[in-house]
Amino acid sequence: MVKWSRREFLVESGAAAVACTSGMGMAAQAPQSSPTMAIAKWGGDQPASSEEIDRIAEQLTVKAIESIGGIGRFVRRGDVVWVKPNIAWIQPPEMAANTNPQVVATIVRLCLEAGAKRVKVGDNPVDIAQQTYEISKIAAAVRPLGADVVFMDRSRFRRVAIKGEVLKEIPIYPEILEADVVINVPIAKHHGLATITVAMKNFMGVVEERRTFHQAIGQTLTDLCLFLKPKISIVDAVRVLVARGPRGGRLEDVRTPLAVAAGTDIVALDAWAAEVLGRNPDDISSVVCGHKAGLGTKDYRSLNPVEISVA
Amino acid sequence: MKRPRWSAATLRRWVQIFSLVLFVALFLATRPIPAQDPPQWLKLYFWFDPLLLVVTFLAAHAVPLMALLAVVTILVTIVCGRVFCGWICPLGVVHDIAGRLIHGRRSPPATNRYSGWQRAKYYLLAGMVVAALFGAHWVTIFDPLVLFYRTLATGLFPTVQWAVEEGSTVVYQKDPGIGPVRLVRVTEPLYLAFRDYLRGVEKQAFLGSGGILAFFVIIVALNAYRRRWWCRFVCPLGAFLGVLAWRPLLRRTVSSESCNQCELCGMNCHGAAASSEGQKWRPSECFGCLNCTDACRRGALRFQWSWPWRSDPSLASVDLSRRGLLASAVGGITLFGFFRATPLGRGKVFNPKLIRPPGARPEPEFLARCTGCGLCMKICPTGGLQPCFLEAGLEGIWTPRLVPKLGYCSYDCNRCGLVCPTEAIQPMTLEEKRRVKMGLATFDTTRCIPYAYGRDCMVCEEHCPIPEKAIYFHEVEILTRDGEVRRIKQPRVDPAKCIGCGVCEHVCVYRDMPAIRVTSANESRHLSNQPLPPWEETYY
Repeated sequence: MVKWSRREFLVESGAAAVACTSGMGMAAQAPQSSPTMAIAKWGGDQPASSEEIDRIAEQLTVKAIESIGGIGRFVRRGDVVWVKPNIAWIQPPEMAANTNPQVVATIVRLCLEAGAKRVKVGDNPVDIAQQTYEISKIAAAVRPLGADVVFMDRSRFRRVAIKGEVLKEIPIYPEILEADVVINVPIAKHHGLATITVAMKNFMGVVEERRTFHQAIGQTLTDLCLFLKPKISIVDAVRVLVARGPRGGRLEDVRTPLAVAAGTDIVALDAWAAEVLGRNPDDISSVVCGHKAGLGTKDYRSLNPVEISVA
Repeated sequence: MKRPRWSAATLRRWVQIFSLVLFVALFLATRPIPAQDPPQWLKLYFWFDPLLLVVTFLAAHAVPLMALLAVVTILVTIVCGRVFCGWICPLGVVHDIAGRLIHGRRSPPATNRYSGWQRAKYYLLAGMVVAALFGAHWVTIFDPLVLFYRTLATGLFPTVQWAVEEGSTVVYQKDPGIGPVRLVRVTEPLYLAFRDYLRGVEKQAFLGSGGILAFFVIIVALNAYRRRWWCRFVCPLGAFLGVLAWRPLLRRTVSSESCNQCELCGMNCHGAAASSEGQKWRPSECFGCLNCTDACRRGALRFQWSWPWRSDPSLASVDLSRRGLLASAVGGITLFGFFRATPLGRGKVFNPKLIRPPGARPEPEFLARCTGCGLCMKICPTGGLQPCFLEAGLEGIWTPRLVPKLGYCSYDCNRCGLVCPTEAIQPMTLEEKRRVKMGLATFDTTRCIPYAYGRDCMVCEEHCPIPEKAIYFHEVEILTRDGEVRRIKQPRVDPAKCIGCGVCEHVCVYRDMPAIRVTSANESRHLSNQPLPPWEETYY
């Protein structure tokens, strides 16, 4: 079993970068030939503790991002980055109701290492924001790295015309629109109505007046994603919630697929996550709507995703 | 004779300001800090309030252990008189400031004479104590600490918060500035500091705060009529301490050789305890403010130790009449009768809107302890705890109830019970509190979207915090307008699992009248208000 420490990873990736620039002729092509989707899965022994899961989460995240061309493909020096995890519920990481804090922290670290000027981390939680940020352990994981933990005050949202099929105008948190890059970091979960909530639905966390969305969940999410045009999403499937979502609260409903997928096609990522959660992508209205509207493809295998086994 | 710059009265003023600042600081510290229990010292002032101690003991026959600290206040008062009123009471400080602003340092002798009406507070207290013997705790809602805390919590602070939030929002949304200099660079850091260190709940507002504020404004404004009007004529805590200060060990004495009857002492007196009538002094009315010794140009006044049994010709007694006290007692019993001789008071009906905080004792016991101080409302992380108006009858005015439309009971919070100074809301662990039923959610199927309009909606189900879900879906086939068969998920409530936290009502898509509403039915604290006992069974 190969364990990647932070230092080893830096040395290896540095060496790879040197190799790329030293006349192998790949540097110029790299962005174009980078895969649109990568899935990193844990191939080692089953973890026995939460700490081991945290370490695995970090390695999977690093590998998944590396396999789609590295964070530098999306984040440039001096960029303001918004990392958008799912921080919706007052639940600890074990309940799989919020994104794994180590996945979020790893992305924050990579962004800062890539030269981002500021990395903001924030969501519009369903539960009380201050409590949710703490109990989810995400605030504590990213603060020491130098990220700005941002609370989205209701009064700070601005109405934006998004001109979708059903959503015409919606209050969006302005710093999301002002950021140079938004990195969407959802967790894969069961959802009582939408069946699953993953990457597309995670963007419900940047808007207000969202209660009516559920009456046409597929189309509203498609409208929103078409407007936001997300460049990269990283799906946390280290722990997933397979029933009584999205809030959860029972360990019996949590599974540990130990996987992280990164990609540029938000619909494909949702389709993959649906399968991880034991569902058929064709039954998920947001996936079907997104596919129809050209937001992405529901047939994620057609993208030839890179599959890496990490151990 | 030149007066020293640093006099005893100046020291007293600084102590008062310190006390006011401490009171407000403890108030501001009463916030829901994530993943942290509120510290017990937030109740500091209430521990030292002997009126709460005695009246709660009379009404409920029990007091929290720390409330026994009020014995200290009792002993200090027996020895030194009403110094609590003059040096510590934060509402007294507010009155002093108001009086100073209105009258300046001295009052003209005509408006600062002792009035026989100052006995009214003793008669009121006597009546209230008799009512407390029967279980009515009502007098504590007029306790000065309680009254001030409640006004701060539901009126004054929310007003400041409104100004800060709305003001900074206007600047944020309009983003004015001169060239590259943006005004938000000043306002946003201020707003963020307010949000992160002072504020409890975003956009917090309280029902009926106008009445609470008006009451406060009126009693402060009455300083214009008489300096410290509230403390002289009404304050039940002042009256209680006045009784204890009947013959204090520390007494004011006048040396008749030096005194030239100039009346400076009387004009400066805060309590009208020493005015006109020769050189007499009323210890029960004296706040120990030391203005008189400070004002006397001839050094004729001193405070000296004496033994309680030594009667002193210069002591004027309060002279309450036996007849008056008897009338007060009858009044107290009558008041209690008025309170309880109602359908609600007799337990014949339950008010569906009277959803008490989790762990609240059964209603009569709750009313025998609750002061309506507002600590629970201040610390509630959702802003759902609101002061009652008449939902619990006149006896329950300003006591807390949950208003789910405004805020719900967070599944991960047990703070209200931990801060309640009289344990009207019992302190519980989070696990215990999660098992308490406050009420029951009911669908209004004439409005609920999947029932009434055949569309999917799941906001309530999604938010239900019970891990096993008290709200669940039932899939049914419906006919659309065009006669097409459609499958739809209709939400239902499992009464065995629902704890009445109200989050479903709070998040319902309908903002005017939610289609799922929580009532007090099934509340754990009243067996006779449980139409659906918590037997494990699913009803459908």
